[in-house]
Amino acid sequence: MSDREKKKAPLQYSLFDGLFQGRQGVLLGLFTLFLIFLAIFPFLSFASGFWLNTLTLILLLAAMAIGWNFIGGYTGYAAFGNVAFFGFGAYGTGLSMTKLGLSFFPSLLIGALAAMLFAIVMGLPILRLKGHYFAIATVAIATAMGEIADSWTSFTGGAAGITLPFFDPIEWSGQFFYYMSLLLAVGGLLLTWFILNRKMGYSWIAIREDEDAANMMGINTTWAKVMAFALSALMAGLAGGIYAYWKTFVLAEEVFKIEYTLQMILAAVLGGTGTIFGPFIGAFIYYILITLLVFFLPVGQLHATILGTIIILVMVFTPKGLMDFISGRKKISINSLLENIRTYRV
Amino acid sequence: MESLQFTQGIVNAILLSGTLALVAIGFSIVWGILNIINLAHGAFLMVGAYITYWLFTLYGIDPFLSLPISMAIMFVVGYLVQRYLINMVIRAPLLVTFLLTFALEIVIINLATFFWKGDLRSVTPDYAGLGFSLGNVQVPYVRLAAFFISLILTGLLHVFMTYTKTGNAIRATGMDIDAARLQGVRIPQTYALTYALGTALAAGAGTLISISFPIDPTMGGAYTLRAFVICVLGGLGSIPGVMMGSVVFAFIEVFSGIWFPSLKDAIALLVLVLVLIVRPSGIAGKAFYH
Repeated sequence: MSDREKKKAPLQYSLFDGLFQGRQGVLLGLFTLFLIFLAIFPFLSFASGFWLNTLTLILLLAAMAIGWNFIGGYTGYAAFGNVAFFGFGAYGTGLSMTKLGLSFFPSLLIGALAAMLFAIVMGLPILRLKGHYFAIATVAIATAMGEIADSWTSFTGGAAGITLPFFDPIEWSGQFFYYMSLLLAVGGLLLTWFILNRKMGYSWIAIREDEDAANMMGINTTWAKVMAFALSALMAGLAGGIYAYWKTFVLAEEVFKIEYTLQMILAAVLGGTGTIFGPFIGAFIYYILITLLVFFLPVGQLHATILGTIIILVMVFTPKGLMDFISGRKKISINSLLENIRTYRV
Repeated sequence: MESLQFTQGIVNAILLSGTLALVAIGFSIVWGILNIINLAHGAFLMVGAYITYWLFTLYGIDPFLSLPISMAIMFVVGYLVQRYLINMVIRAPLLVTFLLTFALEIVIINLATFFWKGDLRSVTPDYAGLGFSLGNVQVPYVRLAAFFISLILTGLLHVFMTYTKTGNAIRATGMDIDAARLQGVRIPQTYALTYALGTALAAGAGTLISISFPIDPTMGGAYTLRAFVICVLGGLGSIPGVMMGSVVFAFIEVFSGIWFPSLKDAIALLVLVLVLIVRPSGIAGKAFYH
């Protein structure tokens, strides 16, 4: 192909062009196999309740990490309060099921929409903030919401929590919640891919790279940012609703735990922020790391220390995530691990 | 009774504002000079409080005498943390340093809970309960002393920053890092020194808090958020601004505690969000210490 023709090559390509070619193709093929494995997992003979439970947790985390990636990864806004949306989804679903007597799916929808609405209402003012201010404002809102949910006893049940009905038939509940989470996580991947090929996706990346320039180019940055925030709320809200019905119990100090925000950010960072598959794979990497470390350091009460140490190591050595190593763009060596320090130290 | 509660509230707020100013000053210089939000600030404060507690419980050292000890220990700890950990990634995007200090906080709190248990503890010297009355209003001696010590430490910091060569080097680094480097300021050491000053002040505040209030390993997080709110209220990196912000915040906190006890933190946080919305860059919005 001559240079001239290369220049003419259209930017948009169809879904299946060279999809399974080269190293990227191999990885995509492996990922597809992995998804197929996940899809048939409950029918495999070794799929005990424990594994189903663990995978459901991982998939819910993956879904939330994918959601966080919209605002934190693509748009570049360090949102630290996404657990608020998880809590909104959980409470929305729980209250709709108990107070309104609705069945699960409409309740889930109500919970997720409530989370989205909250994200839009809060997002319009706080997305004007930049950097540290935005980050702390989101932490503050999430903490405040947790406290309000905890003390508004007449509406939320306060410290007594909300008890939800069990899934019926109960012997299929493990499978049901597993598939709900898988659907949510895969749906999140498709949503990411869908948006990235649209103007919205380009707007997000443009905002991350230079918000003023994006504004000058005629991008409605407010709309794009609020959409990113609302969509991340949608993912976390749905995850919260599923989680609430799965555990059949909603308690403020449980569903507004700041650790959940940390976990989703860490999953996204481990996999690679601003990539489609990063947060999904990161959620698995995160759980494997945690499980291995808890296994080798069997001190249950030091769980948080282990989590913190992982965060510190990741931030110092691989803040761009492990996706570059997996996809072969970078080789694992002392040099590549020290690259981050060489770039950013003083 | 209402008016008594009101006047007592005013006295409490003024006494509280001194300690809060001390907490916020350390946070403010680290933010202003290093441009990082030190989320581990409250955890260092907690360790300072525990140093005082153990020195008092094990060796019977008076809490006010242990103030320099806890500050010195945490100064060294802070210096090492900044020099050999945070300095490694200090120029990375916001998310990295934010998560790094967050992780530090988690680790410190978890280790403290593991070794010292999560119980509430208090430092109880003989004079702990003493105080004097102004009419019906109670003023405990320890809180009054804490108030004045906070003011003295804040003043000393101001003198250090304004009149010493090292203090000027720190300020210069905050204003223009390249120009400071050209003038021969050693940036890594200066950063470490600034952070160490921040943690030492946090530890000092922790010591003073431990004399008046019970302590536990999770006490710090609330102070980190308060420090942040105060910095936003008063403007980043100016000592008078931080003092003013502390007074405003102390009044909000004390009176929302009287009127809406269960929503105390929520109200403080909503005030923060409100201020940020009205003035998105903070009230003063200066990017360095001066």
